[in-house]
Amino acid sequence: MTISSQLSADGQELTITIQGRFDFNAHQAFRDAYQRADCTPKRYVIDLAGATYLDSSALGMLLLLRDHAGSDKADIRLINCNPDVRKVLSVSNFEQLFAIA
Amino acid sequence: MPRRLSILIAEDGAADRMLLAAIVGRQGHRVTTASNGAEAVRLFESERPQLVLMDALMPVMDGFEAARQIKQLAGNELVPIIFLTSLTEHEALVRCLEAGGDDFLAKPYNPVILEAKIQAMHRLRRLQATVLEQRDLIARRNQQLLDEQRAAKAIFDKVAHAGCLSAPNIRYRQSPRALFNGDLLLAAHAPAGRMFVLLGDFTGHGLPAAIGAMPLAETFYGMTAKGYSSGEILCELNAKLKLILPVEMFCCAALLDINLKQGMLRVWNGGLPDGYLLRAAEGERLPLRSRHLPLGVLDALQFDDSFETLPLAIGDRLLLMSDGVLESTSADDELFGEQRLLAVMDANTEPSALLDEIQAALHDFHGQILDDLSLVEVNMIEAEDAVAAQSPAVFPLGAPELRARDWSASFELRPSSLRQYNPLPMTMQLLLQISPLRHRAGTIYTVLTELYANALEHGVLLLDSSMKCDANGFANYYQERQRRLGELTEGSVSIELSVKSEETRGYLRIAVRDSGPGFDVQRALDQQYCAGCLGGRGLRMIRQMSERFYWEPDGKVLNVEFHWAAHA
Amino acid sequence: MVDHLDTSVLATLQEVMEAEYPVLLDTFLVDSEERLRLLQQACRSGQAENLRQAAHSFKGSCSNMGAALLADLCRELEEAARLEQIDEAPHLIERIEREFAIVRILYRAERQRYGGLG
Repeated sequence: MTISSQLSADGQELTITIQGRFDFNAHQAFRDAYQRADCTPKRYVIDLAGATYLDSSALGMLLLLRDHAGSDKADIRLINCNPDVRKVLSVSNFEQLFAIA
Repeated sequence: MPRRLSILIAEDGAADRMLLAAIVGRQGHRVTTASNGAEAVRLFESERPQLVLMDALMPVMDGFEAARQIKQLAGNELVPIIFLTSLTEHEALVRCLEAGGDDFLAKPYNPVILEAKIQAMHRLRRLQATVLEQRDLIARRNQQLLDEQRAAKAIFDKVAHAGCLSAPNIRYRQSPRALFNGDLLLAAHAPAGRMFVLLGDFTGHGLPAAIGAMPLAETFYGMTAKGYSSGEILCELNAKLKLILPVEMFCCAALLDINLKQGMLRVWNGGLPDGYLLRAAEGERLPLRSRHLPLGVLDALQFDDSFETLPLAIGDRLLLMSDGVLESTSADDELFGEQRLLAVMDANTEPSALLDEIQAALHDFHGQILDDLSLVEVNMIEAEDAVAAQSPAVFPLGAPELRARDWSASFELRPSSLRQYNPLPMTMQLLLQISPLRHRAGTIYTVLTELYANALEHGVLLLDSSMKCDANGFANYYQERQRRLGELTEGSVSIELSVKSEETRGYLRIAVRDSGPGFDVQRALDQQYCAGCLGGRGLRMIRQMSERFYWEPDGKVLNVEFHWAAHA
Repeated sequence: MVDHLDTSVLATLQEVMEAEYPVLLDTFLVDSEERLRLLQQACRSGQAENLRQAAHSFKGSCSNMGAALLADLCRELEEAARLEQIDEAPHLIERIEREFAIVRILYRAERQRYGGLG
């Protein structure tokens, strides 16, 4: 499981890419990715193309990010979701909180 | 820094022994000497030195055997053994190591090298001792945690099993393996013959996951007993969890509001996999899908407590499960999945065997019992059988008995309150103060509900109960009810209570008045019995359940009385 | 003249043993006489392993005491015994006895120089 992050040139958008299993072990790495002191982006993009597995602790981590990004004002997109990931997100109705592509 | 140690020297050459003792002694250590292997072992037992300098070749018992025995006597403790040997053959050195030797020292003895080795061995000794200490500490702490968990589970079980999971129409499977498994199953009889069933699945495992379960269970049972609606209970559960749980924790849950008398099921599913309504007639299978976010995510204002309403008949079955069922994996890391589950349900011919068949399929799939899986089946059996003699919890627990009573109270609800407020629980709380009536609380609640529903829905909202004739009609009726209630600008419902009693008898009178046009009560009562028309049926039920039922001629005020006599 | 005794070793022994230095020398001499008997016994009985071990032990003892030549001779005997060349043994033991005789005198002189009794 690896997590990498990339800030856009204008500093407005942070893209976090997740490879492998997005589960409890990703907790610290995921937090570190968005808690970087040097940036306060307006938008977040989570790229799940390489994510093989998503469980409830991953959902919890997404909630933490949303809380960090301003709760109802947060702008977070989950992109490149494979069918399994999409299924998990849909059962928990997370499209009510995140834009899913 | 150099430390004083107690050192045993086992060396058969007298001069060598003397010399070594002098070297080691001068370095400040306490010295004991032995001239053969057997003496070395004996002295080790009695003196328990911290380090041994052992000559490899000795009479009586050689150094290798002595070293083996000393290592055994030392047990878990590290007693370093430095072999005194000039043996250079590979085989000889291997023998030293196999016997437990930790280092070698060659002749002629070099005091500087010897001291360095002694101190190095001492550091290793200290390290080993620290490791053992920490191991014991960890073991003790672990045991403490397990004991705490056991205690917490005992408390939890008392709260969680205060309900009616043992009711004859509920069957469930919960794997017992983990002390807590984050799955919560609650069931309670609600007044007026309803039953609420809640399946919850907290994120995470173990104690943290189960801590949210206690306030959830308490709220569920408390509010159900007090007569709150399933929607109100859900809102409160969500608000409580939102408050208590950290941001990243939540509870996937499904709530079933089962009203077999009225043939109605209301279901709310937030985050759990599909439940199923299995109809007796035609073997139809309806999925109960998750349409909401789990509990504890949204705040009170955004929380959506809208239920799906479905008709229900005797013989129907309801199935709920946690995601542990679909996500259980086989030895090849394959998921059980929805397709397999549906296959089992398709193949089932004997409905009462379904739960067992699902269990068997799961067991065959992964060949062992798993934790974190819950399966519950609720069977719609005959209404009378389902409602066992379940008296609601007595509130307040510590109230003194009241003997003579003489009081009355009334309140009027106008549009803004009618929209948001359910006065029935509060009214019941008042009425439960009357001890002679407590055992009839269910009946009284049913009557009160009917009176209030009649006043609000027909008197104020002007709804027509003939809409509720079929499955679609149900849904439409309640949708229309919500709509009209939301747009309400005028109208009112009043509830008047009076109680009067002496030592041997008394009565409770409930009057419900509405601002509507009124109706011909007698005519409604006399209407031919019709399965779909609940208006007349409701009124007949009120008459049946109370001692007196009468009304104002215009039908705008309905009164019921409950009497009691010779109370022990 | 080849050094029979390594004086730097003797100096170290003096430093370590202090007042016990003469006792050490005496002990060594008594000890060594016993070891010589053991060597002869092993040689007579033809047991190569025993001979090897005895020679090895004696070698160690001698090296501790600074008797370098004697230690070397013991090493030769040890090696011969290891290769089971028993016929070499009597000759080597003879040389060892001769060297020991010399070393004994030198140690006794050392004792006197140190100011010990006896």
